[in-house]
Amino acid sequence: MARSAHALSRTSRVALSVYAAALYVFLYGPIVMIGVLSFNSSRIIGFPIRGFTGEWYLKVFQSSQFLTALFNSIGVGIVAALVATTLALTLALAFRRDFPMKGVVFNLVLMPIVMPGIVGGIVLLMFFGYLNMGFSLWTSVAVAHVNWVLPFAFLTLYPRIHGFDVALEEAAMDLGASRFEVMRYVVFPIIRPAIVATALFSFSLSFDEFIRTLFVTGAQRTVPVMFWTLVMDELVPELPAMAVLIILISATVAMIGAVGAGRTRQTSSERS
Amino acid sequence: MRSDKVSLLLLLLPGLLWLFAFVVVPFSFAIVMSFWTSGMFGLKPDFQFGNYALILGNPLYATLILKTLRVALVATLLSLAISYPIAYFLAFASGRAKIVLTLLLFLPFWTSYVVRSFIWLPILGTNGAINRILLAIGIIDQPIGGMLYNEGAIYVGLVYVYTLFMTLPIYLAIEKIDPRLLEAAADLGARPLWVFLRIVLPLSWPGVISGCVMVFLLAMSSYVTPQMLGGPSGIMVSGMIAAQFQANNNWALGATLALVLSSITFAILIVAGRWVGLRQIFTAGRG
Repeated sequence: MARSAHALSRTSRVALSVYAAALYVFLYGPIVMIGVLSFNSSRIIGFPIRGFTGEWYLKVFQSSQFLTALFNSIGVGIVAALVATTLALTLALAFRRDFPMKGVVFNLVLMPIVMPGIVGGIVLLMFFGYLNMGFSLWTSVAVAHVNWVLPFAFLTLYPRIHGFDVALEEAAMDLGASRFEVMRYVVFPIIRPAIVATALFSFSLSFDEFIRTLFVTGAQRTVPVMFWTLVMDELVPELPAMAVLIILISATVAMIGAVGAGRTRQTSSERS
Repeated sequence: MRSDKVSLLLLLLPGLLWLFAFVVVPFSFAIVMSFWTSGMFGLKPDFQFGNYALILGNPLYATLILKTLRVALVATLLSLAISYPIAYFLAFASGRAKIVLTLLLFLPFWTSYVVRSFIWLPILGTNGAINRILLAIGIIDQPIGGMLYNEGAIYVGLVYVYTLFMTLPIYLAIEKIDPRLLEAAADLGARPLWVFLRIVLPLSWPGVISGCVMVFLLAMSSYVTPQMLGGPSGIMVSGMIAAQFQANNNWALGATLALVLSSITFAILIVAGRWVGLRQIFTAGRG
């Protein structure tokens, strides 16, 4: 409070509070509304409300399209999280030391998120397409997801590994541990929480990935691609219910990832 | 020392190989393909500048690129206007309210932007919430049809989907300001407005720049929101690129347009990178 007293007059504080309330209505109003519409028995998505029904949720849960997409998303999310976290870990370990062209390599790691999303998608479309490698969940889609997730995994892991006390490693080496043993028994146990958090965060990024996946998707669709196809093809009445479920699932996944990341940040700062 | 070099190489190798095979090679391939020709019988390897000449020569493309830049600019300014006050409010809030409100700000952005764009269809549409409310109040007696599928709807969607990328860096920049600066200014007799103009505003600049770059780039290459809410006339550069790989089946032109979009992106980042670190721009939004 003391902090704000100097930078805010009383009237502007009231005005800001009112503004904040309006902004939260703007953020949450649409979500609440889609929740209400998901129970509307009308076949048209929108108003008026014709009556209450749970029919649309039942339909979504029984739709093999939705469940398959969910399984596809979870599967590719796990693969992307594992591959990206492993690659990010090795890169982050290497980045503790100096080597020639370190800056160039760093920019290269960032490249997939610097590139416009649609470019990331069509570039892989042309690559897999021209080489006739085919498009499927475990080839082109998995590659697109790892590309997208890797920079974030690196940016999450690197600061935590960078802050790691090198003296511990040197001590272990002096005591006769091999390089592998130092990794296995000293480094890994300490950075394990950061690795878990990175993997969870990577999974949540993969789960919501859309634009790159859209262009390299084969017959097996992920949840966002399936949802997009439904919206663009025909506005089926169960879309609001599906939207609510997707919001709930990905917010939960993201929250787990964020809480994990926050926790390691706390412990590593306590340690240093 | 030699084993040091070997282990460093072993650590770098997997990541570098991946990035080389699936980022560098495909992107270079797109550059090569921009000199090819696409005809009725598919792609033909070539070395000609026809695709570039078409984009430079046909005013259709210049108009489209300018429109895309304009939409991105307006969306950025709208986001800035909306985000600055809330970032300021949160930075100066305290206690439990601050934690809860910050978390609540993040939460909606933790879900797919495809879904968050879709949400606006039943709000802006003819059967939508806004029409319903206006009818109920009696301001209109016929539903308004034109709220969806125009540039305004694109702005609403883009701001809704991307504004956190503006709020977060600004919030972090204001948070970092040493409270003693504000106290000192107040002790020396500065009024709150003066403290804001002379201390908070200048010190929050890096956050503002990060946020503007982020939102501008995201809006400039957005595809989902304009396609969903903008209708056929809402097409932006990304929509034009996508069309070359769908109906038009002109990969060479699509590759060229993609390179144009990438070049604009890189140029903006290089210029912005002089003011604020690139890493700062990209870590502020996530993680």
